[in-house]
Amino acid sequence: MISTFLRHELKAFWRSKNTGKSIAVRIIMGVFILYLLINVLVLGFFLNKILEKAYPHQDVVIAFCGIILLYYLMDLFMRLQLQDLPTLRVQPYLQLPIKRDSLVRYLAFTALLSVFNIWPFILFAPFILKIIATDSGATVALAFIVSLIGLTVFSNYLALYIKRKSNLNGWVFLITAAVIVLIALGDFYWHIYSLRNVSYLFFGRLITTPLFALAPVLMGGAMYYINFLYLKQNLYLEELGSRKAAKYKSSTDYPLLSRFGGVGDLVANEIKLVLRNKRSRSALIMGLFIMLYGLIFYNNRLYGESWKVFASMFMTGIFIINYGQFMFSWQASHFDGLLVSKVSFTDFLKAKYLLFTIISTGFFLLTVPYVYFGWRILMIQCIMYLWNIGINTTLVLFFANRNFKRMDLSKGAAFNWEGMSGNQWILSIPLLIAPYVIYGPFALLGRADIGLALLAITGLVFILTRSFWIKQLEADFYTHRYKITEGFRNK
Amino acid sequence: MIEIKDLKKIYSGVTVVNVPHLEIKKGESVGLVGNNGAGKTTLFRLMLDLIRPDGGEVLSNGENVAGHENWKNYTASYLDEGFLIDYLTPEEYFYFIGGLHQQSRATVDDYLSGMAEFFNGEILKKGKYIRDLSKGNQCKVGVVSCLLQNPELLMLDEPFANIDPSTQFRLKSLLKDLNKNKGVTTLISSHDLNHITDVCDRILLMEKGKIIKDIATGSSTLNELEEYFGVGQIIDGPVKVDEEENH
Repeated sequence: MISTFLRHELKAFWRSKNTGKSIAVRIIMGVFILYLLINVLVLGFFLNKILEKAYPHQDVVIAFCGIILLYYLMDLFMRLQLQDLPTLRVQPYLQLPIKRDSLVRYLAFTALLSVFNIWPFILFAPFILKIIATDSGATVALAFIVSLIGLTVFSNYLALYIKRKSNLNGWVFLITAAVIVLIALGDFYWHIYSLRNVSYLFFGRLITTPLFALAPVLMGGAMYYINFLYLKQNLYLEELGSRKAAKYKSSTDYPLLSRFGGVGDLVANEIKLVLRNKRSRSALIMGLFIMLYGLIFYNNRLYGESWKVFASMFMTGIFIINYGQFMFSWQASHFDGLLVSKVSFTDFLKAKYLLFTIISTGFFLLTVPYVYFGWRILMIQCIMYLWNIGINTTLVLFFANRNFKRMDLSKGAAFNWEGMSGNQWILSIPLLIAPYVIYGPFALLGRADIGLALLAITGLVFILTRSFWIKQLEADFYTHRYKITEGFRNK
Repeated sequence: MIEIKDLKKIYSGVTVVNVPHLEIKKGESVGLVGNNGAGKTTLFRLMLDLIRPDGGEVLSNGENVAGHENWKNYTASYLDEGFLIDYLTPEEYFYFIGGLHQQSRATVDDYLSGMAEFFNGEILKKGKYIRDLSKGNQCKVGVVSCLLQNPELLMLDEPFANIDPSTQFRLKSLLKDLNKNKGVTTLISSHDLNHITDVCDRILLMEKGKIIKDIATGSSTLNELEEYFGVGQIIDGPVKVDEEENH
């Protein structure tokens, strides 16, 4: 059964409208991951030397035992942001004589096929083989490997479980991220406890009693089972979801927007789109999470000014990047209707610009308190805000004309998992690099101010010449429109 | 009103629409019939400039629909649920459509109150988004949003398919009224031969992308169509046993 699902999945990949784009994304991802793996391998190989340098007063084994838990904490944090959720369009299989368990098992097992699950072994196995196996014997080394497997499986399914939950409710993600950050702060900032001691408490004991290795395995098994049950329950939810007695949905309108006439109406519709669909709403809530980047990047002397440019662009423009890169797929299900109605595409584009401007302005205002870290920060944020509404909006809309993939917002969100993954971030790379093309050279020459000024001027020029860009985008759209509508009709 | 010249659409070698010439005059009510895959919906989409023709053109009031947008001012259409913005409530959707045609909310409300019978109390003030409505009720929203636009040309694809019998009759009288009393040109496709011959003065029969019959509706039209679609055969014809399926 699993092989059949895999074959269907492959067909879905090769036969989709976006195949070319997805392959390009995957190749970039592959190269990137390979590079990281090689780095980690080197790191793993010299881990004993590194640990000796980092903790000169400690036994290497103690230091090693201490960092394992830290690694998994970071691992969980990274997984939450980057790991792909395995997807299978379950609906067509539900009414067929296929056991629910085998559907769920497929989803659960393919979740293990992630590079995240290789990293801990590449990183730690060389050390275990080189030092622990020679010091304490093969049994202890095996116990370490087994407990690594257990913890990896546990971390894998915990991350997926949280991600699934947070797709239904964006706050789950925010709260989890906050908890992880607090745990880390508790150790490194407030020094209430030491995670390294906690880690050593367990792994140190492993050396004397290798049987303890079963504990992480049990945890991993339990987490798998929780995931399995959750998925199975949601398989039912999917059927019943649409018929659930729903709350009374009232009509709303935004009087402020009606000042903008037809364009304002379109913006009002899109704001409703964002707020009334789970997926787009989590894109917005993700933006709130990104607001925390400032604490990481502004606070730390380690990060130079170019990182601040990055952070402030991300914070003021996250919605443009996150929501914009799926444009116009959000509207795929009624795109035909929009095209035959009396909406000119110019207005349609103007509405996009207005929407981005409104929401970016909102995020910009939210980041103003970072002025606490200095007026210069506020200036950089202001410049990047201009850059975002000037250039990134235009770039995003340019890419939107090349997006032919349908997205069904009205389908139950419980099984609608595309979007929050590493692939998504890849598409934002051109957006992330663009400002550095201007800023980078000047910063390297020690003339960062000129770089910033140029960023601001470019942003302003683009804002002032918006109508020109709208014309270009419209012409560009007309060369792609049939492909877009066909792709959007392709369920 | 509409003139089609040498219109062609080919999907992977198969010609799905091939109309050398078709003219629809202002005020006509035209029905489009044909089996699944005959090319009805594709023809509609070509006329609405949603897919690129592989040859030929569609002229609306003498202007090619592809590359122009004037036709949108007087054309209203509903092909499927994909035309509705499904996360809006029906009221919001009507206000939006009305707003596109410079109608105030009061005008829209006024119009909708006249539609109370057609809605049968299932659409307005129900506290549901369009996506939560049944297919039939979505169809009602689509049809009314078309009528709201006071179109000169109305295009509906299988409007009778998902709605209940009472609404079907109400829709028929609405359509007749629009055509006879308000002079709206209507183009409707349907699988229901009774309804379509009742509503339309002219029937176009499509087969494999071609219009093979173009008839003015008369007393014999229904019989003629039934004969084509083989209704007679099922009753009278000998029952053929398919060897391969009954072994």
